[in-house]
Amino acid sequence: MEKVDCIIVGGGLAGLSAAYGLASEGLEVIVIERGDYSGAKNVTGGRLYVSPIRDLYPELWKAAPFERPVTREFVTLMGDGAHTTIELASERFATPAYQSYTVLRARFDQWFADQVMEKGGMVITKNRVDDLLLEGGKVIGIRAGGDDIGADVTIIAEGVLGLLSSKAGLREEPRPQDHALGYKEIIELPPGVIQDRWHLNEGEGAAHLFMGGVTRGLMGGGFLYTNKDSISLGIVVGMEAMRQAPDKVDSYTLLDEFKELPQIKPLVEGGTIVEYSAHAIAEGGIAKVPKLYGDGYLLAGDTAGLSLNALVTVRGMDFAIASGYYAARAVIDAKERDDFTAASLAQYEQSLRSSFVLKDLETARYIPHTIENPRLFTHYPQAVSNLMEQVFTIGPGPSKKLSSTVMGGVRKDFLNLQTLKELYAMRKI
Amino acid sequence: MNILVFVKTNPDLQMIRIKDRQPVMEAIPYKVGDLEKNAVEAAIQLRDAAGGGTITAVCLAEANRRAKETLKEVLAMGADEAVLVTEPALEVADQAAVALVLAKAAEKTGYDLLLFGEGSTDNYTGQVGPRVAEILGVPQIGYARKITGTEGGVQVERSMDEHIEVLEAPFPVAVTVVSEINEPRIPSLMNIMKAGKKPLAEYSLADLGLDATSVVAQKAILSNLAEEQDRKHIMFDGDPAAQAEAFVNALLKEGVLGR
Ligand SMILES: Cc1cc2nc3c(=O)[nH]c(=O)nc-3n(C[C@H](O)[C@H](O)[C@H](O)COP(=O)(O)OP(=O)(O)OC[C@H]3O[C@@H](n4cnc5c(N)ncnc54)[C@H](O)[C@@H]3O)c2cc1C
Repeated sequence: MEKVDCIIVGGGLAGLSAAYGLASEGLEVIVIERGDYSGAKNVTGGRLYVSPIRDLYPELWKAAPFERPVTREFVTLMGDGAHTTIELASERFATPAYQSYTVLRARFDQWFADQVMEKGGMVITKNRVDDLLLEGGKVIGIRAGGDDIGADVTIIAEGVLGLLSSKAGLREEPRPQDHALGYKEIIELPPGVIQDRWHLNEGEGAAHLFMGGVTRGLMGGGFLYTNKDSISLGIVVGMEAMRQAPDKVDSYTLLDEFKELPQIKPLVEGGTIVEYSAHAIAEGGIAKVPKLYGDGYLLAGDTAGLSLNALVTVRGMDFAIASGYYAARAVIDAKERDDFTAASLAQYEQSLRSSFVLKDLETARYIPHTIENPRLFTHYPQAVSNLMEQVFTIGPGPSKKLSSTVMGGVRKDFLNLQTLKELYAMRKI
Repeated sequence: MNILVFVKTNPDLQMIRIKDRQPVMEAIPYKVGDLEKNAVEAAIQLRDAAGGGTITAVCLAEANRRAKETLKEVLAMGADEAVLVTEPALEVADQAAVALVLAKAAEKTGYDLLLFGEGSTDNYTGQVGPRVAEILGVPQIGYARKITGTEGGVQVERSMDEHIEVLEAPFPVAVTVVSEINEPRIPSLMNIMKAGKKPLAEYSLADLGLDATSVVAQKAILSNLAEEQDRKHIMFDGDPAAQAEAFVNALLKEGVLGR
């Protein structure tokens, strides 16, 4: 059997990041990616938070094909008949080094694969890994298209469903309860139009999230990111919520409905749809992170459950890149020791624990449970919009004092037992 | 037997969108041209049938085209060696200039048989093979649907409209192939891995005794606009089976299917 230092299953961000680290140190590494090219099948919102990973591969981000730095944040709370938008224009966000950028995966991942190959790593596309090769509980390589290839360490970065790793018993089968579905369109718009619609200076970008009447009250929301000359527009819906929904609805119908909403329509007006995609998102949080290593293998990125949906921030790409980085470090050190057992590879989990990756997931431990509450997606966006509407209303008769309008609304929708209970439950997030 | 196969990297046409009647080339993956793959397959079959010989794949690297990957793919299929000619000036070269460079590369490498695709997947001018043959002064056979090795040469079946022509030629000879000649193999993972270790020579124009002035294009493209077509905006209702049927019927009517 042909053998290399490291095989990486999956040429997404986690896999490519690991490959880049390994190839930079001269290890013989092959990435096997089933897509026509890296980025072909990968879906994100998306915005990449660069701040957490800037120091990991500092040379890379300087030349990366980002779309726009996110300098403005919008959140729209959608109610029936009224919606409220909060716009944050932060000077800090608009000053380099930018904390986050929008990205298009087709472009970004291809570029990343090129960087890996520049360093001497091999990225083999259009090939699917069919099986992990196990020998006495140790992963010794992979099988693809009838060829067996051995490796000291196999890094499994096969994305969210983790079919190979579950099949090999390295993690649990994915459950719908722990996942959401994302649907997304890329809609082309001229840069000038994008800048006008989101109040941006040339080259700057916006992130726009929508909560409330987006997903028929199902757990989820809408997102919109501005790219150079397109926007990424989509919705995310909890799989379990969709399964349980009393009236069954097709996911693409939800996206169509979303685009027809009076709040969204003017934002996408005149645009051309150039891409459509759908993908699962892991939302189980730290409680669902599997064992990250064992004899001869490491799990990285979405396969390791490293993603976080905290309502206004969605993260996964930075975790994928960071986990790839630490996976590479662990393999490099293991090679130095010439010891690829679980004990030697345990370093990987330790470094993730002391990095932002598992720390941030730990901080967010209770978020997945809290956002299961459907009232977050129905009652609150509606209540805020109602209240704002009242504040701005001048009717035919005499108006009430502002303070009593506000207090009335607050009392009605926020100062009740259920809301207080929910607020109390939220203290953990 | 020394076989040279000329391969061109083509943009993946399926990935190209048209915007303002121009192709959007940004972030488009490149791949080995379809007919070039047939040519490589033909070379492999000839070599293997002869029980020996060397296949050298030759490719020009114009800016942006992923020539090295193309050559690796061809090496993974079974070519033995590769030659890459890199030169930024080639980006604007026309078929005459490309043919000149390829002919010089062929002279430098040595050859018995020169194999080409009949035309490239993207531009399909069908000029490069005949031009190289002309520059080198070797006979050329086009529309090859079958090539068989003979003592010191080849026998070629040419696919003509109404008939098949059979020709024989001694080496050296240039042959351009059509798609019906074979079904190109898909390289196995192991062969892809090994391809990285096969010899790949890189030449500059200077190495071939040329310079940037020898590849100046003799022709200029004044306009190259894609056809414009409005969307049909047809909605299909009813149960899925009925929708599917109506959809297929509409595609048939438009001539998209069943051509
Ligand atoms: C709708 C949506 C919105 C999101 N928004 C954001 C956001 O704004 N910001 C953010 O940071 N994150 C976001 N995420 C999460 C983020 O996209 C993921 O966390 C990230 O893509 C994970 O990267 P990865 O490399 O682990 O997996 P992937 O990118 O999924 O890569 C896995 C790769 O493995 C390949 N593969 C799988 N099986 C095999 C096999 N057997 N053989 C060969 N190859 C195989 C696949 O083709 C794929 O290329 C979003 C996700 C979705 C779906």
